[in-house]
Amino acid sequence: MSCSVRLDGVTLDYFIYSVKAQSLRNAVFNLAVGGNLYKSQGDVTVVRALENISLDLKEGDRLALVGHNGSGKTSLLKVIAGIYEPQKGVVEVKGNLTSMIAHAAGLDMDASGLQNIRKLGAMRLLPKKVVESRIDGIVEFSELGDFVRLPVKTYSSGMMARLMFACATEFEADILVLDEWMGAGDAAFMQKATDRMKGFVDKAQMVILGTHNFHLVELVCNKVIELSAGRAVFYGTTEDWKAWRNG
Amino acid sequence: MEAIQAAFRDIIDGVRLAPLWLTLGWEQTAARFRRTVLGPFWLTANLLAMAFAISFIFGGLFGNGNWRQTFALTIAGILCWQIVGGYLADASNTFISAGDLMNTMRMPLTFHVCLMMYKNLINFLAQLIALWIVLFLLKLGSIPDISLLLGLPIVLINGALLSMIIAMPATRFRDVQQTIAVSVQILFFLTPVFWAPASMQGKRSIILTLNPFAHLLELIRQPLLGSTPSFVHWEWGIGLMFVLGATAVTMLTLYRKRIVFWL
Repeated sequence: MSCSVRLDGVTLDYFIYSVKAQSLRNAVFNLAVGGNLYKSQGDVTVVRALENISLDLKEGDRLALVGHNGSGKTSLLKVIAGIYEPQKGVVEVKGNLTSMIAHAAGLDMDASGLQNIRKLGAMRLLPKKVVESRIDGIVEFSELGDFVRLPVKTYSSGMMARLMFACATEFEADILVLDEWMGAGDAAFMQKATDRMKGFVDKAQMVILGTHNFHLVELVCNKVIELSAGRAVFYGTTEDWKAWRNG
Repeated sequence: MEAIQAAFRDIIDGVRLAPLWLTLGWEQTAARFRRTVLGPFWLTANLLAMAFAISFIFGGLFGNGNWRQTFALTIAGILCWQIVGGYLADASNTFISAGDLMNTMRMPLTFHVCLMMYKNLINFLAQLIALWIVLFLLKLGSIPDISLLLGLPIVLINGALLSMIIAMPATRFRDVQQTIAVSVQILFFLTPVFWAPASMQGKRSIILTLNPFAHLLELIRQPLLGSTPSFVHWEWGIGLMFVLGATAVTMLTLYRKRIVFWL
């Protein structure tokens, strides 16, 4: 199945509501005073998280999102995943997308690893048979062993990362959107994960990865977008990016 | 125009995710009672305790000698109230409690509302079985009227639409949630849950004729107790669906995109 991601001039604003702005009393008082005050609403802060971002990805592309903390990596991942709809610009995503943005997102802490695998499978609308047939592969890849029968709350963050990554990649998706949480895994796991993501080229799947790990970028990704304060300061191939950073 | 289409698409996509919210609703209900001894029978215990307490106190206050009849009305009333109005405090919390999921996966808003409403239905059905057992043991039972099969969906659809309508402002303004919680308690007394509608006389009976919750309640309680609801209740039930439906679509059109930022 073919997949593609195209973003054109995407601009995203966050509205941050303080305690005061979330109070109904303030909104009502402001209404009574007149429209002027209402507009300012006291405590709504607008943050421009992304400004005029454009990119174009096709099958087999592995894009890295790099940049400082707060530069807009996660915001951009959320726009691609369809969680945030930008105020301006076009987002076109073709293909079946799996997003694993937050650490341990969607895991039920009180349920066992196996129950969570079934739940994550159900969330992707996979038939029960398909999920059951993938369980062995997931358990093997995540190397959780007998821990899969224990509640997830007993796992370390690295073990949760293993489970999430194994589910994300075994339940085949065309487009995989991952954020930094992967860094919780140890060196051996990172090696396995890297190998698996490289294999995406052959299957014509796509990976979009937010990371601070430049080594991982060079190993896995063929394209890089570097963000700074919500703007793309670099967008191109990994080789060009390395030259750009050094130059 | 595009926003209106997106609003309708949200509703359609949300309903079409039925296999998912049916599975998750069941699992989450099971998870709620994990490590308890009584399990889902806690719901039954709650219903019985409330019904006995209320019919004991108010049976005495109203001086109604016919204890058995009051009890049947009360226990059915309390049970039905949960999916007619009792769920509203939960409903206002729908998006806030789904916040984690909304921030990690793209889902129609309608999905979260359907999931919440389905969990309510499971609670209702679990207690319904208990109700029949108790009524049967007390020899108060009667065969439910066939109109329940129409009344229950009307109540559920109205509930889902109303949840959608109140959950949006409740996410933006955190006062709304508290307001709803207080209002639900008052509505519980204003609706003939544990008193007979016929005993309300004079001008005050306006709270019966103009209270939509009273009409919705009768749409399921009367069939449960073996009679057919009168025409006026159907009129209110179906009319409400259109009013709430139009409001929900309008609000989705205006605010759908923004809700994730309000969390």
